Amino acid sequence: MSEANDQIVDFTQEGRVIVGTIRTSSVLSAINVAEFGNEVVAYVEARPGVNLLLNFEHVDYLSSAVLTELLRVNKAIESVQGKLRLCSLSKVILEVFQITNLDTMFTIFDEDLDGGRRRFQRALEIQDQEAAWKEPG
Amino acid sequence: MSTVFFHEEFPSTFEAMTVTLDHAVAALLREGWIQKDHEPCTRLCLEEALVNAVRHGNDNDANRTVKLSLADEGECCTIRVRDEGGGFCVDQVAFPETEQMGGRGICLIRHFMERVEFDTNANCLEMSFRRKAC
Repeated sequence: MSEANDQIVDFTQEGRVIVGTIRTSSVLSAINVAEFGNEVVAYVEARPGVNLLLNFEHVDYLSSAVLTELLRVNKAIESVQGKLRLCSLSKVILEVFQITNLDTMFTIFDEDLDGGRRRFQRALEIQDQEAAWKEPG
Repeated sequence: MSTVFFHEEFPSTFEAMTVTLDHAVAALLREGWIQKDHEPCTRLCLEEALVNAVRHGNDNDANRTVKLSLADEGECCTIRVRDEGGGFCVDQVAFPETEQMGGRGICLIRHFMERVEFDTNANCLEMSFRRKAC
């Protein structure tokens, strides 16, 4: 179910994964890039343990200012013991992450949204199974 | 020989900057320096240079202007961004640590452009690239 009408990111819950779809490249312009970060950080901080999959399928390019905001989001996610994954990155966007070595900091799924969501969901299930094994019997 | 095919100046606000950015990308497409597929990385470099000029060169002071020009120099297109600040040395901009919050713009420009330098006499960032065919 979608929660927003005129936000920069459209958040949708699908199972245990929250998909955050960035609406267009233009919402990440210099004018509102900080707003993007504020919006996602506020969302994350209100949801401890959130599993957020940021979907870039409508984004053609992103600037270094967006990378800075993504680092803020990553810190916010860590502070609430959540998980952040990225998917549907274009070739240029992936290149930007690689040039800046941020591909080592963020977990980037190669897949499109459906594939990324399935992979994230499956990783969470495996994590739960492992935790169950470790629980004292 | 250098022929300027685009020139605009704007006050140091991001709203004005994005208008000029769109005009410049349209001019590069129209003049055949880039194709649609190459627009994202060219737009990225232009935006990084213009944001630096507005934010660091002119301290977001709307009374100061930024000038952007695009010139056909035969084999290359040269983008010149001029602000009213004190300038900086491109070569001294260090590659940022992974967790550092900012400072990646020049690194990205260096990657996507063939030549990047700051002309201290003209207080102007210059970056060049070759024509990008399909």
